[in-house]
Amino acid sequence: MNSLHDSYHRPLFPRGPGLGLRTLLLIALALTLIFNDMRGDSLKPARAWTAYALTPVVWLASVPARLIGMARGIDTRSHIESENAALKQQQFVLSAKLSKMDALEAENRRLRELLASSARLADQVLVAEIVAVNQDPYRHQITLNRGSRDGIYRGQALVDAYGVMGQVIDVAPNSCKALLVTDPDHGIPVEINRTGLQTIAVGLGDERGLRLPFLPSNADIKNGDLLVSSSLGGRFPAGYPVGKVYDVKPVAGEHFMEAYAYPAARLNQGRQALLVWNHDSESAADAAAAAQTAADQTHTPSSATAAQAPVAAPAPAAKPASPPAEPPAADAGTRAQP
Amino acid sequence: MSRPSAQAVWTVFLLSLIGALVLQLIALPDSLSAARPLWLPLMLAYWALREPQLPALVPAFIAGLMLDVLYAAPFGQHALGLVVVVYLVVRLRSFFIIFPLWQATIALIPAWALYCFLMFWVDGATQHEAEVWLRWLPAISTTLFWPLLWSVMELIRQPGGDDD
Repeated sequence: MNSLHDSYHRPLFPRGPGLGLRTLLLIALALTLIFNDMRGDSLKPARAWTAYALTPVVWLASVPARLIGMARGIDTRSHIESENAALKQQQFVLSAKLSKMDALEAENRRLRELLASSARLADQVLVAEIVAVNQDPYRHQITLNRGSRDGIYRGQALVDAYGVMGQVIDVAPNSCKALLVTDPDHGIPVEINRTGLQTIAVGLGDERGLRLPFLPSNADIKNGDLLVSSSLGGRFPAGYPVGKVYDVKPVAGEHFMEAYAYPAARLNQGRQALLVWNHDSESAADAAAAAQTAADQTHTPSSATAAQAPVAAPAPAAKPASPPAEPPAADAGTRAQP
Repeated sequence: MSRPSAQAVWTVFLLSLIGALVLQLIALPDSLSAARPLWLPLMLAYWALREPQLPALVPAFIAGLMLDVLYAAPFGQHALGLVVVVYLVVRLRSFFIIFPLWQATIALIPAWALYCFLMFWVDGATQHEAEVWLRWLPAISTTLFWPLLWSVMELIRQPGGDDD
């Protein structure tokens, strides 16, 4: 280190603002940016375009992982043949199941039509590839290779073959970032499949998965219960598995119970994910836009609030209709209080 | 030895910053990712020490913004940390360069710790909770990587290893 050559000449008469002043200016700028970014969406376009410009860097960073994957892909012929045979067999079984599923789906649709229910079975989906995983160990986020050009929108739900993975939080023209259900900033409305109890699952921030806080102490929930997504809040499509409960325990000194669940989706395996269009939320967004324009045109506050009310607060408006009376009511009470 | 032209220095500088950005993104196993060295601060500190005539503050700010976008952190978080680290290193440059390499390695620990603390503080201020103790691991790994980075960069920039 002491081998530095001393050809560095400090200018005798420095021009422009000094080092300290420049640093102060940049620090002030950074703090302003942080503040603005937390308070609003005004920086979203800048973010989107920076992400777009950095696509080559992301690609470059994924090269080593790809090379390792390719090296792992080299395999013996006999192994590939046996795998192929197994897959063919599995595909045969699955296609048989699927053909039965078609019939069941058609029957279900007929029955639902009989019941005059509007629930849709077939969701519009798009397969996306996971191109990067956030390397900050405290953020559970992934980057997908689909963006606003494919019609991805903020808040879109993300699932894999086993359950809900998370939701889209940031959209760039050709990529998007998604928050996984295990991130501590993430919450998802869920329904316990066995009883229909509606509650919320928040991420724990580590591999242990999900936490269900503020359950009433008499809630009917036990180990092994399957959590499925609920359409309360209008963000996630209903009925996808979210997790499986592995621990239920009362909180010391509180009137609540807490439950813990492993996520159903295989969050750190595989490279593909499905982006699901939730038609309810899109139509809600359309309705919101329509209400907004209507409000802009008429300038009558009463009609505007009336039109926007169901959009702004979808959760209370869509309280559970069918499930057992006592637990959800208590649950709603506990959630309303804090 | 004749000094490389200003243009060559700038090219190597920008390329090394992009390289550090890529290193910052490369996927590591879960158990190691908490201990990822702070490549960008390392690289910027190297340049601030080695080529003080480079105006490293603004590139540090821009690289920080890029890192914020790539990590989906609040816009400006890493920029803030990098600007502070570069300022410290430039200001205390005369203090750092009188040491041999291993002592400078130790003398730079507070800079890494300060960077870690700033990241932790902004995360806390923006309500992003995280494990507290693992936060300080990068300071250790960065310290370990400093002699390596210094030597490698010297090798890259002066093949032949002439002692000027």
